[in-house]
Amino acid sequence: MEIGSVLVTGGTGFLGSAIVRALREKHPHCHITVVDIQGSNDTGFATDSDLSFAQADVTSPESLSNVFSKCRPQVVIHTAGIVPPLSERYARRMEKDVLRVNVEGTRNTLRAAKEAGCAAFVYTGSCTAVIDDVSIQYANIDERWPLAYRSSIYGESKALAEELVLSSSGDGIKACVLRPSVICGEGDNQLLPPIHACIAKRETSYIIGDGHNLWDITYVGNIADAHVLAAQNLLSTMTAAGEAFFIQNNEPIAFRDLSLAVWKHFGHIPPFKIVIPAGLAWFAGFLAECFTWMSGTTATLSRGSVRDACSVRYANGQKAEKILGYKARVGIEEGIRISCEDYAKRLKQRAKE
Amino acid sequence: MVKVTDILYYAINPQELRSIIQWKVWHQPVHEREEDKESVSSRICYDFLDKTSRSFSAVIQELHPELLLPICLFYLILRGLDTIEDDTSIPAETKNPLLRDFHDRLEEDGWCFTGNRPEEKDRELLVQFKHVVTEFKKIKPAYRDIIKDTTDKMGNGMADYINNAEFNEVGVDKIEDYELYCHYVAGLVGEGLTRLFVESGYGNPALLQKSHLHESMGRFLQKTNIIRDIKEDFDDKRKFWPREIWSKHVDKYEDLLKPEYRDAALNCSSEMVLNALNHADECLFYLAGLKEQSVFNFCAIPQSMAIATLALCFRNPKIFERNIKITRGQACQIMVASTQNLRIVCEVFRDHVRLIHKKNVPQDPSFLKISIACGKIEQFIESIFPSQRPEDVIRSKPGEPKTLKALEKEAQDKEARHDMLMMMMAMGTMLLVVSGLMFGLAWLLGARFDLAFADAKKGMQDIMASNWRPAPGSSRAAKPAKQFDHDEI
Repeated sequence: MEIGSVLVTGGTGFLGSAIVRALREKHPHCHITVVDIQGSNDTGFATDSDLSFAQADVTSPESLSNVFSKCRPQVVIHTAGIVPPLSERYARRMEKDVLRVNVEGTRNTLRAAKEAGCAAFVYTGSCTAVIDDVSIQYANIDERWPLAYRSSIYGESKALAEELVLSSSGDGIKACVLRPSVICGEGDNQLLPPIHACIAKRETSYIIGDGHNLWDITYVGNIADAHVLAAQNLLSTMTAAGEAFFIQNNEPIAFRDLSLAVWKHFGHIPPFKIVIPAGLAWFAGFLAECFTWMSGTTATLSRGSVRDACSVRYANGQKAEKILGYKARVGIEEGIRISCEDYAKRLKQRAKE
Repeated sequence: MVKVTDILYYAINPQELRSIIQWKVWHQPVHEREEDKESVSSRICYDFLDKTSRSFSAVIQELHPELLLPICLFYLILRGLDTIEDDTSIPAETKNPLLRDFHDRLEEDGWCFTGNRPEEKDRELLVQFKHVVTEFKKIKPAYRDIIKDTTDKMGNGMADYINNAEFNEVGVDKIEDYELYCHYVAGLVGEGLTRLFVESGYGNPALLQKSHLHESMGRFLQKTNIIRDIKEDFDDKRKFWPREIWSKHVDKYEDLLKPEYRDAALNCSSEMVLNALNHADECLFYLAGLKEQSVFNFCAIPQSMAIATLALCFRNPKIFERNIKITRGQACQIMVASTQNLRIVCEVFRDHVRLIHKKNVPQDPSFLKISIACGKIEQFIESIFPSQRPEDVIRSKPGEPKTLKALEKEAQDKEARHDMLMMMMAMGTMLLVVSGLMFGLAWLLGARFDLAFADAKKGMQDIMASNWRPAPGSSRAAKPAKQFDHDEI
C-alpha cells in the first residue's frame, strides 16, 4: 500500500512531527506537506523534494484553501489543535479559544480537504472526548462508550470535532478518528514536566486515593504508527471509514507508578509515604480553589486535579488491532525511559542558557 | 495442639478465625465418596492419598465420581515417580531405566518397588504399588492412555535431568531452562489433567487447543513453590532459581541467602515473582473453561493459594531465612472463596495482585515491569467481569453540545442579564434620590424628624418587649407601657 501525498496540519508539533517521521520511515516516496501556524521548519527535518513546509492557520479558511489548492494531497492528517495547559485544564477561561481552534479549525480543515478532492482524512481526536467526565470511572472501556459533552473544555471540543469528522465520511472523502490517550515521548511538554516539578515542590510523598487506579499512557511513536495505518486503511480496504479508535500502549499502569518511575529516573525516591483519602483530598482541592480564586494565582491542587489523580482511565485496544492492525511497537517502559532522557536533556540545555 | 501464639493471632484477626469455622462447619463437598461401594484396593489407594498429600487429598476426594479414581491414581503414580527421582541413594544407572519405563509398569500385575532407602517418606506407596496397578487396570481405557502418556513424558524428562551434569552442579541456567524444567514437573501434569477433564466432558475442548493455558496452570504453581522454597531447596543442595536471573543481582547463588546481600536478593526475588505473575491471567482464563463445580474447585483452590503465597513472598526477606506459609485462616478464607465461582476467584486474585502492587517499590529494578504485570491482570479481570457497561452510563450532566454558537448565545444571555441588573440599579438610585429630595423638602418646611424617629423607636421597643421577650429582664420596658395604658384609660 503506497501513499502518494499527505498533508499534516500541526506537523511541527509534538505528535505531528512524530507522524511526519513515521510517514518518512514507512513511505519514503510519499510527498509530505507540513502545515503549521508558523510555517517554518524548526523541527530539524531534512528538507528535500518530498518534504515541504507551508503556513496556514486552521481558524482561517482562506489560508487553508491557499495551501490545499496548491498541494492537493491524497491524505490529510489533521493534528493541529490546542491542549490547554494543566492550570487551565479544569477551568473554563480558555473555552472560546479551544473551541475556535479545535472545533472550527477542524470544520475548516474538513471543508478545505473536501474542496481539494482529498481521498482520506485522519483526525487526531482524544480519549478525553469520552473520559473527561470525571463523575465516572473508565475501566477497560471500548468504542461503544458514549461521548461526553459536559466534561473539560478540551474533552468537549474533541467530542464535537470528532462528530464533525465522522459525519463527513462518505462517498467523497473517507474519514476516521484516532483517540490517543495521554502521550509521552520526545518533545513532551504536557505529561512529564508537571510530574517532574513535583520533586522541587516536595509533593512526591503524598498519595491521593489508593494508588491502584490504572491509566493508559502511550508512547508518541506508537500513535504516529497508528496514523500511518489509518491512512493506509482509508486508501485501501476503507474498513476504518466513519469509525473512531482508542489508541494506546495497551499496558495500563497506575498513575502513581508512572510518577514514581519518572522521579526515579531523575534520582528521586520519595522519602516517606502519606496516603490522603480521596474525599479529604477533594475537600483540600476545593479549599485551594477558593484560595486561588481570591488570590488570582494558579495551583496544582484543585477538585479537578484530585479527581484526575484518583480516576481510572484505560481502554481496550481490540478494535484498533482488528481493523487497523495496530500494535504498540515501543513498550511503555521503554517509552517512559525515552521521555525521561529527552526531558533531562532539555532541562540541561535550559540550565546552560 | 493449639499454640498460645495462634490464639493471640486469631484474637487480632477474628475474620480469619471466622473463615476457619466457616470452612470447617459449612463447607459441603460437591460430591462425596461412597466408601461402602469401594473395593479394598481402591480404599487402600485413598489411604495412600491421605498419607502422601496434605493439600490435594481433600479436593481430590470431593471430585465427581467419574474422575475421582482416575485423578487419585494419576496423583499416586506421579508421586511414585517422584519418590524414585528424589531418592539420592539409587545409582543413576538403576534410576534411569526405572524412570523412563515407569509407564510400562502401570499395567504389570503385582508390580512393586522396594529399592528406596528407608527414610524416603513415601517409600511404602511403591512397596504396595500393586494396589495402584489393580485399580489402574479397571479405569476407562481413554483415561488410562492419558495417564500413561503423561507418565512416559514426565519420566523421560526427569531422566534427562539426572543425566544433565550441569543442572546438578550449577542448577538451572537460562530462563528457557527454567521454563522447560517447570514444564516437565508441572506443565505436563496440567496437560494430563486437562485431557482427563475434556475426555470426561467436564472441560471445554478449547482448553486443549490453547495449550499455553494449561501450561500456565502448572507453571504458576511450580514457580510459586520454587520461589517460596528457596531456602529449603538450597539446604537440600538444589538450585532452581535460574542463573540468568540471579546473576543480575548477586555473584554466587549462595549470596542470595546471606544477610549482607539481602537487598540484592530481594530484587532478585521480585524478578522471580514477576516471571511467575505473567501466568496469572492465563490461569484465570483456563478456569473459565471448566464446566463442573468439583473440577473447578479442584483447579481453583491451588491457584488461589499460589497467588496468595506469591503475594506473601513478594519482597519478603523471610523467604531467605525459613519456609513461610500463609496462615491457616487465610487458607480457609481462600478455600471458601475458591469453591464458588470464577468471579469470586478473580476477586481473590485482584486483592492479592493489589497487595503485590502495594509492596512494589521504585528502588526495585523490576518496579515498572511489575506494575505493568499487575495492570495486565486487573485489565484481564475487568475484561471478563466488567464493572460497568457502556449502556449503563448515563452522563451525569446531559445536555446540548457546547458549540461556539451556543457559547455566543450564552454570552448574549449573560449580557441581557447584565443589562437588566443595570436597569434595576438605576431605578433604585432614582428612587433614593427622589425620596431624599422629598424628605429634604419636608425638613426645610419644618418637619420634626427627631420626634418622629424617637416615637418610632419607642413603639419598636414596645413591640419587642411585649411580643418578643416577655421575660423579667425586660420588665423595665414593659412597665412604662402599662403606665401609658393607665393614663390613656
